[in-house]
Amino acid sequence: MRSKLNYLTSVSLKRKIKTKWFLIANILLAIIIVGAINIDSIISFFGGDFDKKQEIYVIDNTSISYDIFNQQMKNISNSIKENKEEFNYKIEKYNKSIKDAKKMLENDDKKNNALIVVFNPSKENVIDVELISKEYIDIIDTQTITGAINNTKVALAILNSNISAEEINEIYSPIEIKRTFLDDEMTSEDESMEMIVTTVFPVIILPFFMLTIFLVQMIGAEVNDEKTTRGMEIIISNVSPKTHFFSKIIAGNLFVILQGILLVIFSGLGLFIRKLIGGSDIVGGLGDEVGGILSKLINSSFGEQLIYIIPLTLILMLLTFLAYSLLAGVLASMTTNIEDFQQLQTPIMIISLIGYYLAMMAGVFKGALFIKILSFVPFISAILSPSLLVLGQIGILEISISIIITIITIWLLIKYGLKIYKVGILNYSSNGLWKKMFKALKN
Amino acid sequence: MLKLENITKYYGDFLAVDKLTFEVKEGEIFGLLGVNGAGKTTTFRMIMGLLEPSDGSVTLDGKKIDYSVTDKIGFLTEERSLLTKMTVKEQCLFYGTLKGMSEDKILSRLKELLEKFEISEYYDKKIKELSKGNQQKIQFITAIINEPKLLILDEPFSGLDPFNVELFKSEIVEMAKKGSIIIFSSHRMEHVELFCKKLVVLKNGKPVLEGELSDIKEKYRKKNILVKGDIDLDKIRTLDGVIEIIEKPLEFEIKIDNIEVAENVFKIVSKGKNVTKFDVVEPSLNEIFIAKVGESYEK
Repeated sequence: MRSKLNYLTSVSLKRKIKTKWFLIANILLAIIIVGAINIDSIISFFGGDFDKKQEIYVIDNTSISYDIFNQQMKNISNSIKENKEEFNYKIEKYNKSIKDAKKMLENDDKKNNALIVVFNPSKENVIDVELISKEYIDIIDTQTITGAINNTKVALAILNSNISAEEINEIYSPIEIKRTFLDDEMTSEDESMEMIVTTVFPVIILPFFMLTIFLVQMIGAEVNDEKTTRGMEIIISNVSPKTHFFSKIIAGNLFVILQGILLVIFSGLGLFIRKLIGGSDIVGGLGDEVGGILSKLINSSFGEQLIYIIPLTLILMLLTFLAYSLLAGVLASMTTNIEDFQQLQTPIMIISLIGYYLAMMAGVFKGALFIKILSFVPFISAILSPSLLVLGQIGILEISISIIITIITIWLLIKYGLKIYKVGILNYSSNGLWKKMFKALKN
Repeated sequence: MLKLENITKYYGDFLAVDKLTFEVKEGEIFGLLGVNGAGKTTTFRMIMGLLEPSDGSVTLDGKKIDYSVTDKIGFLTEERSLLTKMTVKEQCLFYGTLKGMSEDKILSRLKELLEKFEISEYYDKKIKELSKGNQQKIQFITAIINEPKLLILDEPFSGLDPFNVELFKSEIVEMAKKGSIIIFSSHRMEHVELFCKKLVVLKNGKPVLEGELSDIKEKYRKKNILVKGDIDLDKIRTLDGVIEIIEKPLEFEIKIDNIEVAENVFKIVSKGKNVTKFDVVEPSLNEIFIAKVGESYEK
């Protein structure tokens, strides 16, 4: 039995790997992943410049607004940046007329993105401001500049009340907030996790979600291919349905594991290339806010927690792959063609999708019992439990329970699913299908 | 020897095969006939061990057929049972290995059979790229690649031209001579007549005709008379026992109820002019089949 199982497994695996489509798909995947990791370098290569500072030319008809605006821009920029040294604006005082400034923007291609801020004195509003640009302005820049202009206006108003410029700067300097938790176990890192779970986690679990869909569809397609060609009759006349069933499950799981490893390799390659071409680290590429939090987390006690979070998540994911593949095999045996299978697998895909969205929004539920119970549900626990574990809403005990429940599900799928499979794979009629399957379960 | 004893198969309340009994010895070619839905495929599946009979037993050399003996069995299904994305070589390696054969043995036997069926050039071609007839040849090759002791052929001549039918026939006969047990199902009654010494005809899962072909024909009382010449057909039609006269391009076929009627027919024919043929022949198996089953096999 073992040799035929090995043989069927190897044939099934070769049928998936030794195809030009597998090669083409992986070449495309490698290009996409490496490209996505190095997207800033690619954009820079084609003319974009991530390091280029936003140029702002200030025409100050009030004679004192420029200095205050300059300082306020630095203050606001510092308050949202992790790297305090980094200032992405090049602010210059422009001493010529608005007309000349507009001409400069129109005639110089290098200044396409440059902005002109014109401060005019106003009796009613302290200052009136005009913002001139050749192109649309980035939303973050707009917010920063608007904030700085508002602060400048208030500062000018205060200045008119005889408060010194130094005092005004002190008023507007960012406040350092000391965060204190009454519970000693609570940390600001945990507090930041919600953002990580909603922004970074979906990216990390997306490959698992995609591989699950791929696994289910692949097993369904293969079983149905053998059924529709009636090759199944020849195969089952030579090997038992049990051997056939397990060969499909093993081959399917080996394939997705291989595909998962390839995805990790492609990501590693992308990071390596990023380092090679001198791009900033991957954390830096995630955006200032998330990147900053992630850097902090990796260097904090959370980094140590990854030692058990990663293996537990991997175990749960592998077990869930197994459960999905068993269910796919059983469902595929019941259908007579791939179209029927695709309809039958839709509820599974919806369950998986629900798990994906729940995992993304895990932080919103604030540790509600409902979400904790859902994290034990097989098929979605592999996505949901790790996100709750990262958020600190469940512990090792809960994730261990999820693992045990998934193992029990696998055992049930093998015990009862195999009975359905034995009857289903040689059934070519959808008439009285459920009756046949229930009868198979009883036998 | 293959032995089926009172095998019965129910699908729920539906009786698919009812107390079917027959045995086939080494070197015999056995015909299993019946219209669609008569129970042939169910019987084949029970012989192959794919289905468990509700009652009765199937044995090969006294042993129940299970996965320990399937390496000795060859099976050609009515529908194409080939994995069309595979090449001919991959397909034969796949099915051959499942039969417990070594790769070397499969490849040498495959080359031998491809040459015999004159399709050596398709060795590395994908199954889906082959014509229907050539796919049938590959399917036949996969069924006999392991030189089976028991060979089950469900409609083996489907999609074949007369030349290739002859190739198949000679191979089947050769295998029978080597001692294989062959069970055969075909829509072509002339093939069944040519091959099978013994047969069973199923109707609604029940055997309605069974035994040696010669005995079946002998027991079947109705005969046909083939006549060439200018004869008085109206007078023949008035005779008792004359069922029907079929006017063929070169001769007349007179269907009679029993052999005794032939003498009366002969008396009238002998009075005709230019009579060059008067031949009393057995009815074809197809006629017997239609008479027993009530409809044509080809339906």
